[in-house]
Amino acid sequence: MLDRTIQPELKAIDKIEFIAPIEYKITPVVSLYHMKDVPNETTRFDLYFDAGKCRGKNAMASFVNGLLLSGTKNKTSIEINNEINGKGGFYESGISQENSVISVYSLRENVLDIFHTLKDAIRNVSFIEKEVLEFLSDRKQGFNISLQKVNYLAQRAFQEELFHSNENYSKTTQLSDFDNVSIQDLKEFHAEFYLKGLAKVVVVGDLDEEIIQQFIDESKEFALTTKPQYAQNIQNNVGLKHIDKTNALQSAVRVGRILFNKNHPDYLDFLVLNTILGDYFGSRLMSNIREEKGYTYGIGTMVAELNNVGYFMVATEVGSDVKDATLREIKYEFDRLKTELVTSEELELVKNYMLGQLLKSADGPYAMTDLFISVELHDLDLEFYNKAILALNNISVERIQELAIKYLNWEDMSIVTAG
Amino acid sequence: MLKYDRFTLENGLRVLFHKDTTTPLAVVNTLYDVGARDESEDKTGFAHLFEHLMFGGSINIADFDTPLQQAGGDNNAFTSNDITNYYEVLPANNIETALWLESDRMLSLAFTDKSLEVQRSVVIEEFKQRYLNQPYGDVWLQLRPLAYKEHSYKWATIGKELSHIENATMSDVKAFFKKHYSPSNAILCIAGNFELEEVKSMVKKWYGDIPSGVKYNRNLTKEPIQTDFREKTIERDVPANAFYYAFKMVDRMHPDFFTADTLSDALGRDKSSRLYLSLKKEQNLVSDISAYITGSLDEGLLVISGKLNEGVTFETFDKALWHELNDFQSKAISSDELEKIMNKIRTAKEFQDMGILNRAMNLCSYELLGDVSLINKESEIYHNITAEDIQRVAQSTLQKTCCSLLKVKAK
Repeated sequence: MLDRTIQPELKAIDKIEFIAPIEYKITPVVSLYHMKDVPNETTRFDLYFDAGKCRGKNAMASFVNGLLLSGTKNKTSIEINNEINGKGGFYESGISQENSVISVYSLRENVLDIFHTLKDAIRNVSFIEKEVLEFLSDRKQGFNISLQKVNYLAQRAFQEELFHSNENYSKTTQLSDFDNVSIQDLKEFHAEFYLKGLAKVVVVGDLDEEIIQQFIDESKEFALTTKPQYAQNIQNNVGLKHIDKTNALQSAVRVGRILFNKNHPDYLDFLVLNTILGDYFGSRLMSNIREEKGYTYGIGTMVAELNNVGYFMVATEVGSDVKDATLREIKYEFDRLKTELVTSEELELVKNYMLGQLLKSADGPYAMTDLFISVELHDLDLEFYNKAILALNNISVERIQELAIKYLNWEDMSIVTAG
Repeated sequence: MLKYDRFTLENGLRVLFHKDTTTPLAVVNTLYDVGARDESEDKTGFAHLFEHLMFGGSINIADFDTPLQQAGGDNNAFTSNDITNYYEVLPANNIETALWLESDRMLSLAFTDKSLEVQRSVVIEEFKQRYLNQPYGDVWLQLRPLAYKEHSYKWATIGKELSHIENATMSDVKAFFKKHYSPSNAILCIAGNFELEEVKSMVKKWYGDIPSGVKYNRNLTKEPIQTDFREKTIERDVPANAFYYAFKMVDRMHPDFFTADTLSDALGRDKSSRLYLSLKKEQNLVSDISAYITGSLDEGLLVISGKLNEGVTFETFDKALWHELNDFQSKAISSDELEKIMNKIRTAKEFQDMGILNRAMNLCSYELLGDVSLINKESEIYHNITAEDIQRVAQSTLQKTCCSLLKVKAK
């Protein structure tokens, strides 16, 4: 008779196989990474430009990123989109504090044609006035919609508080940005950060070397020749800030601080603390604020990284009537980690969970490539993950407490509520 | 070609196995043949509330998540108008933990008052977060009852109103479980690097002794054929006027289903589609516009939605849209245009097949349709769609008499 009260025996993850893409140098400071081991016809290529939000004035970086396919002297935006879509390509563009990333998903038979179209579009974009005005008007409408979301309001204010000491990083989009754009400004930004700003190329797909060579040859003209500089020391503005939005049913909450990235000796161990606190379904915050009290649909924490710094953040949306109670509970959970040792059972569980997640994030060529890129950013290699497994296996409950005492002080936090 | 094996346990549980030797992970996907369409009109939002309760402990296991996390796995679930789907992704050598957990909650739940109380409030917060506290968040709560008058698609999965969730009782919950959560109403798919015999013996071990339950016979009120244009305007505190044209389309098993899907791509999938080119790029009436299908099992909707540019009236846009739709019906698209649409469909399909979880979910969905082998015919069906097919389906679908229009007017 089957005893359903007993969990089947667990087996440990003994080994995870990490596979690095092949590196080709485009210039001494710019590389192309190719992950070839793809079992079907899919491909993706990403172009990283040193054209993130921290570059240029106001929302310039975001505007230029959005206008890259807006047309050249010889081709309209319609023709460009038609060439990419017609070849079955999916174009995505995104922007972070320090990067602008252009990605295309397609089948391998079409990858070069699409790359050529894209390259021509990006190199020769001429910022046609009609296209620019249309784009700004669409973006402004989208921005006005975002301003109605407590989540957006809190995130935006949090960014201002978090990167407080560095204006290039703390600036956020303002309504006035949409009315103060000159074509000349767009062109200058484009010339500086795109025509000479390619920082990295990533290609995933079962492609021949000749194709990769074409990517390399044709990317060269855009490639950076010296390493770009990014902010080293940023201080967040501590204390509470509230953004009022009348009649909101829910309030968005952010609590966080500037922290380090993968190059810091406390990084790996802090990830474990972060997971215990709020980065999985059974976390302290989820158990308390969702499963125990029902204040929210979800609450989570994260560690995010930039080139030289990083940050830690708690994020949630809660019923407006329990906003203050939620802040009290978040602080309570910080304090509990500082004053009480976690049990070895809880630590064991989190270790197993994190190992499983690492296995998952190394599964398949696309995930594996992204995992690689996230260490390459910090001049590390895949050995980092073997160290991570080791760190996970060796961490103690005392070490968790030590890190909580060191990094989870309420007085060090930027706290933002919107609602 | 997606390879799979299929077998059925004596208690009626249908099982699919998909072998993938390239991954160290396993997926356990469980589809229950119950969705919001199976709720009664005075107790809506129940299938979804129930999905939350499935994590509140089962008959022999107090906590669902902890053992799974110990096994290095994670899980999630979703509820639609048609189905409720649960999955676990975990290291393959720990798959039995997922089977242990998933089979125990198929056997029976713990039904604690605390779980019901907390999940009620979690779902109420979800209702607020997704539907009430977002600009345009309540659109589907308004559009469904406009498009459907009789069929239970007239309410959204989250429910018609908060009070239905607030008033849910334990006896409601138990009755719901008994009716829908049993082997005879479920489909299981296991994917990973296993042997068929191994899978058979594990599934038999964990699921074999669960009583089969009573097969639920769906008897939904059919939606009468729509014969009149419907229109509703709501005023909301939003920055831009928005429109949602919802056309009745065929059900999932109808031979024209994929043609209707392709039609929606031609109209509004991307920046090369018809409506985007004419109504945005040429006439500059909208800030964005797209077309898509709901993809539901019973008669679904093909929706054209977007936002108006400042200064453009609903009337001006309406005229331009119908002009475009009539034009589209009057002549078939060129072979060049069709080929481009098909290229995009091929790319999307190839990427979907990359993910093992996607493959497992997809297998369950096809089994639910009654014939899992259809999964390998999909590409061919798309491939055989002609420009004339699209024109014919456009003519029968894009009719004013089967359209429901919701306008969201900025206050």
